[in-house]
Amino acid sequence: MRRLLTIISALTLAVITITGCTAGESPRQVRGVFIYGTSAGDAETLNWIMAADSASFGYAGLTIESLATYDNNWQVVLRHLAKPVEVSSDGLVYTITIRDDLWWTGGIKVTAEDYVYTLKNLMFSDWLNYTYKSDWQEEVDGKTVFVEPKVVNETTFTITRRTVDPEFLDNAIYGLTPYPKHIARKYEGDIKAFTQAEEFNNLTYTGNLGPYKFKEWIRNDKFVVSRNPDYYLGKETGAPFFEEYINKLLGTPAAVHAAMEAGDITYTGIDPDQVARFQRMPNIKVYTIPTRGYQLISYNQRKNGWEGLRDKRVRQALSMCLDKQSIIENIMFGFGEPAFSFIPRPSPWYTDEGVMKFGIGQLYSKEKAKQMLFEAGYGTKQPDGSIQVRDKDGKPLKLIIVTNTGVKDREQTAYYVKQELGSIGIEVEIKLVPWATELRQYLMNKVPNSNQEPRFNNGPDAVSEEKWDLIVIGLSTHPIAPSGTAVFFTTDGGLNFWGSSNTRIDELFTKVKSKEALSVEARKQMYAEISRIIAEDQPANFLFFPAANPAFQSNVRGIEPGMRIGWNYHMWYFAER
Amino acid sequence: MKRLEKTAHRVGGLRNLAFFTTLAVLGVLGLLDLYVVDSLIPPSSYVYIFLIATGICYGVYPLWSARRLTTYYWRRTSKHRLALAGLVFIGLLVLIAIIGPFFTQDPTRVDFKEKNLPPVGFTVQQSIFDMSTGKFTTREIPGTLSHPLGTDDKGRDMLAMLVSGARVSLQVGFLATLVAVLIGAVLGVSSAYAGGWIDNVLMRFTDIMMTFPFFLLLVFIVFLFGPSLSFIILAIGLTGWTGVARLVRSEALSLRTRDFIVAAKGLGASSTRIIFRHLIPNVMSPIIVIATLSIPGVILAEAALSFIGLGDPSSTSWGIILNAGQSSLDTAWWIAVEPGVILFLTVLAFNFLGDGLRDAFDPRSQL
Amino acid sequence: MRAYIIRRLIYAAIIAWGVVTATFILLQLSPNSPADRYLASMSARGSDPAQVIAAIESRYGVNRPILVQYGEYMTNLVRGDWGWSLSTSMPVMELIKKHWIYSFQLILLSSIFAAILGIAIGVYSAIRQYSKIDYIATFFSFIGVSLPNFWLGIMLILVFSVQLGWFKTYYDTSLPIFSLANLKALVLPVITLGTGMMAGYTRYVRSSVLDNLRKDFVRTARAKGLPERRVIGKHVLRNAMLPIFTILMFDLGSIVFGGAYLTEVIFGIPGLGRISFNAVFANDYPVVITITLIGALVVLITNLVTDIAYTWLDPRVRYE
Repeated sequence: MRRLLTIISALTLAVITITGCTAGESPRQVRGVFIYGTSAGDAETLNWIMAADSASFGYAGLTIESLATYDNNWQVVLRHLAKPVEVSSDGLVYTITIRDDLWWTGGIKVTAEDYVYTLKNLMFSDWLNYTYKSDWQEEVDGKTVFVEPKVVNETTFTITRRTVDPEFLDNAIYGLTPYPKHIARKYEGDIKAFTQAEEFNNLTYTGNLGPYKFKEWIRNDKFVVSRNPDYYLGKETGAPFFEEYINKLLGTPAAVHAAMEAGDITYTGIDPDQVARFQRMPNIKVYTIPTRGYQLISYNQRKNGWEGLRDKRVRQALSMCLDKQSIIENIMFGFGEPAFSFIPRPSPWYTDEGVMKFGIGQLYSKEKAKQMLFEAGYGTKQPDGSIQVRDKDGKPLKLIIVTNTGVKDREQTAYYVKQELGSIGIEVEIKLVPWATELRQYLMNKVPNSNQEPRFNNGPDAVSEEKWDLIVIGLSTHPIAPSGTAVFFTTDGGLNFWGSSNTRIDELFTKVKSKEALSVEARKQMYAEISRIIAEDQPANFLFFPAANPAFQSNVRGIEPGMRIGWNYHMWYFAER
Repeated sequence: MKRLEKTAHRVGGLRNLAFFTTLAVLGVLGLLDLYVVDSLIPPSSYVYIFLIATGICYGVYPLWSARRLTTYYWRRTSKHRLALAGLVFIGLLVLIAIIGPFFTQDPTRVDFKEKNLPPVGFTVQQSIFDMSTGKFTTREIPGTLSHPLGTDDKGRDMLAMLVSGARVSLQVGFLATLVAVLIGAVLGVSSAYAGGWIDNVLMRFTDIMMTFPFFLLLVFIVFLFGPSLSFIILAIGLTGWTGVARLVRSEALSLRTRDFIVAAKGLGASSTRIIFRHLIPNVMSPIIVIATLSIPGVILAEAALSFIGLGDPSSTSWGIILNAGQSSLDTAWWIAVEPGVILFLTVLAFNFLGDGLRDAFDPRSQL
Repeated sequence: MRAYIIRRLIYAAIIAWGVVTATFILLQLSPNSPADRYLASMSARGSDPAQVIAAIESRYGVNRPILVQYGEYMTNLVRGDWGWSLSTSMPVMELIKKHWIYSFQLILLSSIFAAILGIAIGVYSAIRQYSKIDYIATFFSFIGVSLPNFWLGIMLILVFSVQLGWFKTYYDTSLPIFSLANLKALVLPVITLGTGMMAGYTRYVRSSVLDNLRKDFVRTARAKGLPERRVIGKHVLRNAMLPIFTILMFDLGSIVFGGAYLTEVIFGIPGLGRISFNAVFANDYPVVITITLIGALVVLITNLVTDIAYTWLDPRVRYE
């Protein structure tokens, strides 16, 4: 009898426990409408190959994915790729194999032909003028040529280069998305027809290539996609789990925050000063994640900037006057990390060994700064031993700092710099201009009295239209493939608008794109050395990498917080409320 | 002496002579400034002198010389209580704008240690995040008397900024209205006086300008040519003159047939003399009314421009302060609320005053 | 009468042409170029800025001589091809067709709101001139026009949508136009825009009623023994309506150009205001010019309609 009772009670307990466990879990069912709210601009076009703005790529990307993506640890995750890309040992031939279960709308199979056609006939063509065609170009014997794609079989194609670029995969290949050859052929060569092509502007061809299908796009209002039941990744997982995904545009950041608070949108990014408030709301969950963008103050080393900026000691001294931690606290409310080079901490190429950290600890000292300026010839010693910062002709120092309107933290940084440099006796004039004006009058330059077309770097003798000394600007680095930054930091870099020049950095950036760099260890050493040299040379004062604060309504599940928080968005779902 | 009288007579009176002489002097100084010496007087002073000259020659002097008329209008205006309140407020504001900056702190002084201070008597919470621990440190920050109205996100004193903003906003208001009124009045009167095809062409041109909506055109121009304060003032003036022109033209048209004009013509007066000596002074009253009623629109237009990001970021007009504060209404409400309130009161005051003046000048309304 | 209408139509066509030409010239004077949007991102990938500008400008067709562009635009206009908006990737006509309704319903409702309130306040303050009520009413109507309407809109959202939860924080375009839900969604925007328009109506009505109160026919009506209500309601009001009608038509005509731009931005309403302003900011020439043209035509035609309606409303008015 007793034994029976024990068995029965044990069983009952087991049953209760099991049902208790499963009752607590919400089944991953398809339900609900997910609304992402933003006050950024609307996309330009769904015909993404014609666009230059990230919003356009974002919208199209909801309906058609690329070859691969990265997860939160920056590990490659295959999407349209069937298996990892094979790279030949000399680093020149890439063999790409796509899945064989991908099809365009109407059941037409996606083949390697589509990819090669997209590259050769569309992206490389003159008539279309693809925005990012330089991703597929290389310098051979002083000439710019395109890489060579070739079809091997239905699901395989190769891309052959003549120069080595270890980061070609990350910079170009993984992001590659094809256009349907059978449709694009009709418009080939006619830019007007291609731009206005109905299929491309309404994303009617996307088949099973993405988690969602295009539903409607009301300009300046919302972009709506509906669940794609044929999604190639949905076969095993049942993804996606939202009936609709809406990208909703609101007019002002205040409106976005109001909508989030009222529960009218599901997901958005929260401004640093509002995070504490949103954390306290019971129905909202806010995460804090690192980002790959950074803010910096560039020093004008061209001839129309203060001559002192061409002296490394002066640049270091100025960087020593700014307390980076204080900037992060005051301007980003603590949401950020000090930067000393362009590589973000989550990157495998990051190092802080031997990197001079101006602006924190020992290297934040206004006294030392004044001493260095004096030694460089920009100060006079007072009878009481203190140093008065002066220009070489004895006059007080006046510098011009420029930044664009519309970005609050850059404006605040400019004022902060004015305050701090003012405290060591340097007068700073702030110029706030619209971005387009900043581009044309401060960033672009040309040799005076020549009839050059203005460019962002017309050589060491070029100067910008307007005088400037410091510019506060934001840039970003691909954590896996930082070689793209060469465009800013090498002497001939196309975007080196501040005119810095360091032969060692130039050499290293060339090495990073060479055969030697195929070895991960070797590349690590190279990037470490670049970081060290740049941190010491201070062509710009790297300020901080801000943290982002994405917020979700608390009934969203499946979120993996991290630098690439949206990488698995097709697996997100609403729990039952 | 005789020669002076003769020149005076040609331009329609001593007053006009004085005005044109001032203009000439300004012009010479300006040319000198541009090509010879370096900045004798700051550029804004030119405009102030011009403004004062216009005010004295065409505003104060006529009022003073026609004492009885002035008192009559004054009595009628003061019957309208709200208009009087408006006038008092504006007077105070002008006073504050002129002498205020000497008593307040430097509005451009930035101090990040004192940022986002609430007005005295209020306390706010400020939270700073610590990336390493993932926690916030929150502290209570009370308002202090050293910054009675609080500070903005860069630590600038709100009171100082509002006072210097008064100067900017009033400047924009008066100057832009002046530009608009000048263009409109000159166009309106000439058009009415000349008649014929000139009138037709000018009115068609005005019509074209009128079909362009004021704000879009303004945004268009400022966007094309850059948001600097003097340019914004010019742009507002250049886009807002159509109402004045229409009004002045209809008034001048009705005057043209009046006896005293016909008589002056018959006596051989030149066109210039008739325009300046007889027509313009008589259209002054509707001009004053429409000018006063335009000022609030101008001030609001500048605030709206700042709201969409086309204001002059280096000036501290109320619109700029408001725009900077509207995204932090939950955490630092005073940055947007204070300029909003003062903007509202100023605009209201001008509206009341203009309305009262309109009633006062309207011969048909019984007061 | 017919000759008058024809004359006005011809005159409208000429003015519209003048407006388009003026816009064209203004655009040519601009130092901005549609290539600006592409400059930064393309150069970041290593493209030569000069080449970028050349390529994009040829895509937009703005690198051709002005007269060629002008001629082409004019001929296309006549043929019914109003161009393709490159900043929103759709035909300009379709863009306008899809979005005008949002601006129209907003301005129509706001005008009606402002007109009703304005007439009520105006009449009341006219018949009780200079009394305490007059001042209060005047004060009230002036508050509307003195409050910066973008500030009012934000305040209304914060109080009624966020704190009280009565309304959604943004306008939902999926609501059918002729539904109660849509009407509810428009409450806050209409209040924001309407209070700004109210004072105009008030002042006009007030002065118009005042004018009419002094007229002989009022005296006659009163002498006849008609109740004051009838005097005001039937006789005075009818005469005072004329200026109201003018203002109403004028307000409606302004929708094309984005008279409600700020309200649209704050409440997230995708009306013509946002379309036209965004087109200006994006240097999207076809849209700017087309909207200017249509706007001018709308304004001119509403003016014509108003003037013609006058002959019907006010028998004293006659045109030949």
